[in-house]
Amino acid sequence: MTTHSSKGCSALFAGLLLVATGALPAVAETSTISIAISPATANVASPQMGDRLAFNTVIRNTGDKSIDGLIAWISLVQIDQGKEQPIDLEDWSAHKAISRASLKPGETISTQWPMRLIQSGHYRVVISAVSREGSSLTPSPFADFVVRSKPVVESSRVLPVALGLPLLIGMSFIGWRRRGRDAG
Amino acid sequence: MENTMSITIKHLKLALGSTEILHDVSISVKAGEIYGLLGPNGAGKTTSIAAALGLMPATSGLIRVLGHDPVKDGVELRRRVGVLPDPNGFYDWMTASNYLRFYAGLYGARLSLSDIQKRLSQVGLEPKLGQPIGQFSRGMRQRLGLARALIANPEVLVLDEPTNGLDPRGRREIHDILIGLARDHGVSILLCTHLLDDVERLCSRVGIIVAGRTVAEGAIADLVRTRRGHRHFRLRLDGVSPKAGNREGHVMVLAQEGEWTIVAVDPSVPPEAAWSEILAAGWRVTEIAREGGGLEDLYLDLTDRRAA
Amino acid sequence: MTIHATIKAASETSPFRSPENMSAIGLIARKEAGEIIVSHRGRAWLLAMVGVLSGFSLLLVGSTELSLLDNAQVVYDMAGIVIALGALLALVVGSDAFAGEHERGSLTPLLLAPVSRHGILAGKIGGQMVAWAVMFILSLPYLWAVGSTGQNLFGAILGLALFGTPVVLAFGLFSMGLGARLGSVRATMMTMLVVLLLAASPLLIGPSLRQSTLGSWFDAVNPFSHAVNALDAMIIDSLGVAAQSIHLVAILAWLFFALAYAVRQTNRLVR
Repeated sequence: MTTHSSKGCSALFAGLLLVATGALPAVAETSTISIAISPATANVASPQMGDRLAFNTVIRNTGDKSIDGLIAWISLVQIDQGKEQPIDLEDWSAHKAISRASLKPGETISTQWPMRLIQSGHYRVVISAVSREGSSLTPSPFADFVVRSKPVVESSRVLPVALGLPLLIGMSFIGWRRRGRDAG
Repeated sequence: MENTMSITIKHLKLALGSTEILHDVSISVKAGEIYGLLGPNGAGKTTSIAAALGLMPATSGLIRVLGHDPVKDGVELRRRVGVLPDPNGFYDWMTASNYLRFYAGLYGARLSLSDIQKRLSQVGLEPKLGQPIGQFSRGMRQRLGLARALIANPEVLVLDEPTNGLDPRGRREIHDILIGLARDHGVSILLCTHLLDDVERLCSRVGIIVAGRTVAEGAIADLVRTRRGHRHFRLRLDGVSPKAGNREGHVMVLAQEGEWTIVAVDPSVPPEAAWSEILAAGWRVTEIAREGGGLEDLYLDLTDRRAA
Repeated sequence: MTIHATIKAASETSPFRSPENMSAIGLIARKEAGEIIVSHRGRAWLLAMVGVLSGFSLLLVGSTELSLLDNAQVVYDMAGIVIALGALLALVVGSDAFAGEHERGSLTPLLLAPVSRHGILAGKIGGQMVAWAVMFILSLPYLWAVGSTGQNLFGAILGLALFGTPVVLAFGLFSMGLGARLGSVRATMMTMLVVLLLAASPLLIGPSLRQSTLGSWFDAVNPFSHAVNALDAMIIDSLGVAAQSIHLVAILAWLFFALAYAVRQTNRLVR
């Protein structure tokens, strides 16, 4: 099984490499995997930094053969104009991928993808899946969301502390000195 | 005999690392007496005191203070002993009253501010309210140190240079306090000082330490009296004075100094017998004074006339 | 009333003859803490400490685009600074605890009080703990100011208390022990400053230290590294405190070693 899997993976990656470099025509086979994505019902309507969101996916085998070696993963990209970039999920979510040895025809996998919103902006989530034998990637529809900014360092909070505390300590010392050292 | 002793040190040896500091120190302080511990700088006085108080472990010998072994029963012993060490440092940021309150607390006592004020005034210290110790003169610090040493009403008082930095009046006040403590309350006082005037005024007995050894110990009068080779006197004579080198009975004329004739009395006879001889011989003696021979000469001789 | 009458009256009530005097430790701790708070030196230190934290906080006021991670990094940095300042305070106070008293001549009267060496050491440790507690409490408004809307503020405070406290105390104990041995504040502080700079190097040069074999070994034995690694895990990586037990064990081992050293050197104090 391990050997078979290894060979399968090698073939897959070799195929992808050849597709990517243009050595083979990029003919996408019709995938027998479907992915439906929807925001979790508990999601806040207008999330801001620090909130948690979750997306539910249902991955279904729509074909008549079992799908072996299924892997699905989450991708996150920022789509703000001028800031378009893939996001390293390292700090957003510890739940980055699932795998299944075999998915029978008609069988589904329901998954929840939680994440913590680290930075403000417009984002797009997509869940992708591949199988060992498949020759193309199956993406989910996009799920977009907006993270509202939350000022993490507010001057209205920092300034009173940063200026007030030294002043308070200095004044308290003067007060103690005036009160006399014999007290207490 | 030892039951009446507040401090007994016998054949004390003490080494720091591989260097032996004390070679053979023996002193004994009786209950209720003021005992003077003398010796040149570096002789081992302070080290002996440190050993007696359990601050430094002895290599060999016996130490008992109020019957306690200072190493084994250190905490209990220190509860009964007051000490004014030299050097005598303070917490300069504290006031005198807070300082005494702190030390009283270490002895398990809570003294009111009025109690502390009394303690301070009784050693002649009346600082300004709120004045930190850092602003005290040397004399004030010395008085505060004495007040601290007395804070627990000790049975034994160990004082290292207690009158340092005090003016003559202050010295006299401290003397009076110490005499009162010994006489009226039976406090044993071990006084370590360079001021021989203090010792002569306060102490009945002394011990002299030189180079880590006790070279003399006993009552001052006995030590001075039995000092060998020091039976020199000054005589004021009416009439013709005998010349240097003349001998009459057991009296040898040593020198003429103005109106004084310096003589030596043979140690084999008491001075009174010698005076009878010269009077019988027709010497017209109007005044006799001891030539030296006091504690200072004894000390200088025993310490080899090195600077004290 | 003469002094003799005072003594007589006092001896009748015998307040000085209590067999056990546990409050002496508390008194010494209060004295030590009081010196830190009341003395000019102590005031200057507290003002300097809040000055550093204020300066660090003010640098962030213009940073409106910080992500939660950036903010967590700020909180982590501030917690690290507080530990470093705490260790520095412990170093200074610890160096002075025995060596300073020895130099000023106030150690002998203290040793001659009816308190055991262990009691004196315990009192001085208590003073250090109070000093650290003051620092810790003063750091809380700063941590709140920069981190209350970020992530893991509670983790930062918990980590600071749990890992910072033994690190700070260990530095204080080593300084006390070394000061008792050397009898010189200057020599003790110079030595301990070098040790602190070395130990706190993970704060200064970051994770690059761990990339070499020697660096990883150093990281494995350095209590400061364990503290900042635990803070990193708790504040930035949002990991639980239970996962940091290996760091805590390593730090507590150092604390125990430092305590044993301080006890040994205090017992060897002569005068």
